[in-house]
Amino acid sequence: MAAPPVLEVAGYTLDYSTPAGPVTALADVGLAVARGETLGLVGESGSGKTSLAWAVLRYLPANAVERGGSIRLSGEELRTRTAAEILEIRGRRIAMVFQDPSTSLNPTIRLGDQLAEVLVRHRGLAPAEARGQGEALLARTGIARPAEMMRRFPHEASGGEKQRVVIATAFACNPELILFDEPTTALDILTARQILDLFARLREETGVAALYISHDLGLVSRIADRVAVINGGRIVEEGPVAGIFRAPRRDYTRALIAAVPRPDVRLAAPPPDPGAAALLALEGVSVRYGGAAFLSRLFGARPAVVQGAREVSLQVRPGELLGVVGESGSGKSTLARVVAGLQEFEGRVGFRDRGYAGRRAFDRPYRRAVQIVFQHPDGSLNPRQRVRDILSRPLKLYGLVPRARLAGRIAELLAAVRLPAEFAGRFPHQLSGGEKQRVAIARAFAAEPDLVICDEVTSSLDVSVQAQVARLLVELQARTGTACLFITHDLNLVRQLAHRIAVMHRGELVDLFDTAEAETDARHPYTRALLAAVPVPPAAAADPAPLTGEPP
Amino acid sequence: MRELLRHPPGIAGAVLLALVAVAVLLGPWLAPYDPQAFHPAARLQGPSAAYWLGTDQFGRDLFSRLMHGARATILFGLGATLIGVAAGALIGVTAGVTGGWVDSLIMRILDGLLAVPDLLFALLIVTVLGGGVQQAMLAVAVAFTPGMARIARAAVLSIRTREYVLAAIARGESAAWIIGREVLPNAVGPIIVEATIRVAFAIMIGATLGFLGLGAQPPSTEWGLMVAEARQFMFRNPFVVAVPGVAIAIAAMGFNLFGDALRDILDPRRRR
Repeated sequence: MAAPPVLEVAGYTLDYSTPAGPVTALADVGLAVARGETLGLVGESGSGKTSLAWAVLRYLPANAVERGGSIRLSGEELRTRTAAEILEIRGRRIAMVFQDPSTSLNPTIRLGDQLAEVLVRHRGLAPAEARGQGEALLARTGIARPAEMMRRFPHEASGGEKQRVVIATAFACNPELILFDEPTTALDILTARQILDLFARLREETGVAALYISHDLGLVSRIADRVAVINGGRIVEEGPVAGIFRAPRRDYTRALIAAVPRPDVRLAAPPPDPGAAALLALEGVSVRYGGAAFLSRLFGARPAVVQGAREVSLQVRPGELLGVVGESGSGKSTLARVVAGLQEFEGRVGFRDRGYAGRRAFDRPYRRAVQIVFQHPDGSLNPRQRVRDILSRPLKLYGLVPRARLAGRIAELLAAVRLPAEFAGRFPHQLSGGEKQRVAIARAFAAEPDLVICDEVTSSLDVSVQAQVARLLVELQARTGTACLFITHDLNLVRQLAHRIAVMHRGELVDLFDTAEAETDARHPYTRALLAAVPVPPAAAADPAPLTGEPP
Repeated sequence: MRELLRHPPGIAGAVLLALVAVAVLLGPWLAPYDPQAFHPAARLQGPSAAYWLGTDQFGRDLFSRLMHGARATILFGLGATLIGVAAGALIGVTAGVTGGWVDSLIMRILDGLLAVPDLLFALLIVTVLGGGVQQAMLAVAVAFTPGMARIARAAVLSIRTREYVLAAIARGESAAWIIGREVLPNAVGPIIVEATIRVAFAIMIGATLGFLGLGAQPPSTEWGLMVAEARQFMFRNPFVVAVPGVAIAIAAMGFNLFGDALRDILDPRRRR
């Protein structure tokens, strides 16, 4: 190839100076992206992948120290450029698309003005001209009525529409290179799929080079030509997508691939007895959100009611793991809150042989038997309590263990979630995200429950940690015979873990099926659309045999 | 306490507060003169070997007056703030935890009270209760209550929806446990910091009330009253105003820095 690659990073090393001494963020990083090519940069949080993006954009924090190496854009060294020159390059020759479209757009400026601004600034168009161009750009991203969209404010557009505007802005000046930082993580499954398709089409049309940063190896495998795996600031492996998946050379890459949830690798606990009576039975459960505040009601304002759940009926059998999937706003978390007794509802919740008609009817035995684990490990543990106090609370509250046995039981619980016993004396902030989530799981299982509700417990964790937590959960479940209501948006993960899957859409239960029947024709069209949007990642050659016998 | 010594602003705050504490505890014994003794030959003098910080318009020794006044001044500020914070926190936490129409009602009433400036509010209360140090203290405390309630409520609201609180509700914990063990320990930070800032305000409002003849009465050596009384002699001897003024500033800064440090120390995440 005669032309130099669009982006070439060679021997690049970056430190951050901290009060505790320099911390190396990137060590001897080298990679190249050619015209029309997409390089996927995959790494877990703290691996340095975002630092690299900022380094390429020349937007480093004050405490960053570059130790050497070069960053070249089409053969030109960027590191020696002045700030003014970089301003000309940024946006015109290098563009960036961020993770969350709702924070990357200014909420007080109309979408059209934000898009036109780039054209005026970098292509020197007159404002009127720029608006016309902007409409054409929006039309190209598949927005149906671009002129109308130009006049809207960010809060008047959906997440997918906003991300389309951001992408249109990025492509506005026909840049040579676009950096994508997890552009679909904040979006729903179906929207994310559309954005990925859009990206593939625009890349085809413009021949732009792209660096696609993500923690999700499965996702990157679908859009990138080549993949670079980054760990601890070093590129550990680089190569074509198929090659990396088929024959990973490094242990770290192998572990990452193994951690990608794949429906054909079943992890589920032994299936429940099909004839068993239901443990939990929801009968026509509805939840309405909203209602006006006291004073507004006094003045006769009509409350705007949002239906969180509509006439949902389902059953969970003892020892079963029921997966609940759906997009944001589908009502899956509302369901978790109802069963955990955090949300007022209409209808009836049956548990064992008793029925409860409202939140206040839940008694102490019910609350002991039903425990919940939340999504955010940071938020679910009281920052002022030590792990010991956090775990001993359910034991004391329900009088499960005599005082003298308390310390022993806490050690057992920590061992059950594979944490060392000395963690009992630590505060939550001294633990990593995965460790915190294990403590939260230990707290739930400390109550010796019959049902554990897991509300997106893995979604804020790294892929490898996510796999460990999921395995741990299933193992605990198999050992104790506890049933589980597993709420997630990750279809591949839930197909690994669940015995049955419930699909929620706009507050309604639209589909409920055995996991083995996920791909049969009997599925609801919405379920099929969801499944189609999340393809199964390619299988590695050195793949272990499925763990439990069930066929995919 | 050892944590405090590793926190530089904390050390500064502790040193300033120690100075104030010495004056509060030992003031009357440290004073070289009777605070009310006139020295007509040495009126409005600057600092000298005989009068360390100078004298006021009656020739009274400023240092002696300062030492004698420390106790009344600081105890007034602390007392008013403590009562105000306790009442405000109670109301704010109740509103925040209960929510619904109780919250709406309490907050609308407090918003109405907040519209009246602290000093005016305190004046109003003193007019009802009558003059005197205790009445003035109560007045300042009542004037502080709405503001403190707002801050306590905001702190509680931000904590109330945290997942560990939800977890406690789902466990079936009692309301007292949830408020006392899960919510309050995480909400005290802003309350403590605000309270330490308010000690200084309390001292100043107390002084103003004294000046208007509604709080401490002459010949009291209360610092605020000293500033107020000496105001008209400020241009003949700046020290008459500067000395008690700086003393108030030292006390205020001490409480402030100490409060900041206290918040950091109480927060386990910031501990090293």
